[in-house]
Amino acid sequence: MRVAMRLRGTACTTVVVDGLRVACRARESSRASLRSSLDEALERLRREFGPAGISDITVDVGQELAGAKRSSVLVVRISPRAPVDDSHVLRLPPAAAPSVTRIMYVAGGHDMRGRSLTSLALESFREQLSTLPSEDVAGVAITSVGSLVSPEHEMRAADAVLSLHGDARVCVSSDFPSRAFRDRESNAIVNSSLMRHGETVAALLREVGARHFPGIPLFFAKGDGGRESMARLPMLPISGLAPEPAMHVVGGAALAGVSDGEVALCTDDGVRIGRVSGGIPVERSASRRIDHRGVSSDTTLLNPLSENHELRATVPRVVVDLRSARSKTLPLNLVPTLTTDHDTALVGAAVAPMTAWIDRMVTVSGRADLERAQRIAEDDAESAVVQLGASPAQTRIVQSTAYAMPYGDSNIIRIRVQAAEKPSALDQPSSARNSNDDS
Amino acid sequence: MITRLIADDIRHLGTGAHFLACTIDPMSVFSYADMIEETMKERRLMLVDAADLAPDDLVVAVGMVSHGFTFADMPPAGDEFVGCVEAIEATMGQQVRGIYPLAAASINGMVPAMVALQMSLPVIDADPMGRVFPLISQTTLNLAAIPIGPIALMGVAGDRAVVEVGDAQRAETLVRSLVTDLGGWAATAMYPCAAAQLRQHGIPGSVSRMIRIGEVLDSDRPTRWKHQHIARLLGAKRITNVRVVDIEGASRPSDVAVSALPSSISLVDEESGQVVRLEIQNEIVLVLVDGGTAAAIPDIVSLVNTDDGTVVDLSDIREGDALDVVIFDAAPPWYREDGLRLAGPRAFGIPLDHPRQGS
Repeated sequence: MRVAMRLRGTACTTVVVDGLRVACRARESSRASLRSSLDEALERLRREFGPAGISDITVDVGQELAGAKRSSVLVVRISPRAPVDDSHVLRLPPAAAPSVTRIMYVAGGHDMRGRSLTSLALESFREQLSTLPSEDVAGVAITSVGSLVSPEHEMRAADAVLSLHGDARVCVSSDFPSRAFRDRESNAIVNSSLMRHGETVAALLREVGARHFPGIPLFFAKGDGGRESMARLPMLPISGLAPEPAMHVVGGAALAGVSDGEVALCTDDGVRIGRVSGGIPVERSASRRIDHRGVSSDTTLLNPLSENHELRATVPRVVVDLRSARSKTLPLNLVPTLTTDHDTALVGAAVAPMTAWIDRMVTVSGRADLERAQRIAEDDAESAVVQLGASPAQTRIVQSTAYAMPYGDSNIIRIRVQAAEKPSALDQPSSARNSNDDS
Repeated sequence: MITRLIADDIRHLGTGAHFLACTIDPMSVFSYADMIEETMKERRLMLVDAADLAPDDLVVAVGMVSHGFTFADMPPAGDEFVGCVEAIEATMGQQVRGIYPLAAASINGMVPAMVALQMSLPVIDADPMGRVFPLISQTTLNLAAIPIGPIALMGVAGDRAVVEVGDAQRAETLVRSLVTDLGGWAATAMYPCAAAQLRQHGIPGSVSRMIRIGEVLDSDRPTRWKHQHIARLLGAKRITNVRVVDIEGASRPSDVAVSALPSSISLVDEESGQVVRLEIQNEIVLVLVDGGTAAAIPDIVSLVNTDDGTVVDLSDIREGDALDVVIFDAAPPWYREDGLRLAGPRAFGIPLDHPRQGS
């Protein structure tokens, strides 16, 4: 059986899922501290299911991270020249701006072929860094022009920071594949500002988890509808910042026993539409939608149901009715196919598969070359899922695209691949729907 | 007509610029819109017709020429375009009196507003493409034999060049190779000409059209209203609610004249079974419906979300997405014989005539 847990303030809520059946409804433990609540919740689970009865725990840390006090972040921009006037200073997105204490410009960067545009001005950067007090360098986000092709200048700048401020939480933008400088930087800033809190949360969960369930695999829920080892949370807290929309979609689909199609989530706030493919939500580049949390890629977003949304009979659809008052009819004549009081987001976290992404630019000389590069990327993505703990025979490619960038070099292609484990739960939808339907 | 632009106009300009070139990542457009709005707090931005200037006034096209990177990948320092316009002035010994876009779409639809603010010049409501084409030679000014040069370029590292060239095809070769070595994009100023020449051979109203498109798409009105008004504004036909079933990179051999490997997107109307295929090479160059040609370049093709009427960013398309394909005519000169020769399907390596050829 798998457990999903949501942290909120000092409280935690747990759900236990057996295959696709909810074995234990959402229960909240709310004590004076988060540690006490976790202790209470896990102790109860151990008593009820035994130490060997739970296979793994996936934690939704989104609300905990969103409510945390963020570390201040020094922003380092590496480009051939600094802006010549204020109007050309790249604006920080609202989600990233409050954490930023200072922006430092350093000469450097690479072109699309990975050639240096100018030498990295490392010595003057070191000099500037050495004058800063450590509290101004708690978090550091480094973004270099061209780092998606060559992260060399970002890595050298990161080494320089750590050599002078060993306690800094340094984040380089090339860890967040996106062509846009602003997207990568925004992600690096938000991630850097959350790293300390991510460490604290991960350490607490590991400690309390090990006390009640020694050796149990711990995961955190991600915004793409997957889960990842808790060991990665201190490095990539931004991945766990906004998992709830994705997990609602995964949970709704899983409860209905559907792995491909639309999921309409009907709540008291309205109807929102998401989509699953192979049990995993279809993601979007969230920065295009001005996501307030600053997550700019690989994130599932739900769209409000509009009058223009054509409800076609050919598209499998789950209509999950989560409203408190269900007597009213739903808009656009939607008919609930699943009426449930279950916490769909937590059910989703419990059944979410491990996922990994490969997003890279490659130089190719033709179709055969492109196919080879795509196969390598797919192998790498599946390897990444195996490294997270999946069995090599239990991985799959969820999506794999390769496309030429408009107005780009004709030989440079962007390849994006998402791989996931084949969760045994999703392999057996059978009669799960009936057993979970409260109606 | 002289119009003072306000911040809302810039927001709409960005949306319209994105709509007219949905294949290009819009981050550059959004970032530039932010910068322009910030600068407008202290300076006035005027949009004028070419006829509002004296016939002999020198006007110049500004635009980013990219070969790999865009402003979103590699933000400009800010003096690049001003440097280019000043280089044109120095070369020609005459002051520039107005700025116009090299292409009234995507980032090049935005750039003139910023340059105009920086140089206290008006933006002219005209351009030489009426959309965006991949080659700097694909302009109505070139069709009218107006020289493309001198061309001033400045890269992100501050390197500059002035190319004294008259032939637009030759200019394409020279500029493209320079752009690669300047870092991946270059700010450029080209097609310096008299205001009267732009008035006669440019495409009028192309800047204000972007604003009008943005006004529709940015409005709070229902999605259906947006779809209807866009169709009416542009005389567009729509292929509605088709679902993406396949995205294919390097789907055809590439042509040496036009950079970027071709890609294809296949869509299907799940109720009628109609199959729509989009062929993409920098721009959407061909739309096939059940194997028949529904549109071919220079027709303008854009994609909007069926559900909310927002412009689709091509790099954000996923299998299963529901889209509306919007097709409308380019400016009339592009359907002349010389226009189709310069910017029709065969110029993109597609062995087809445009449906209007021979008719």
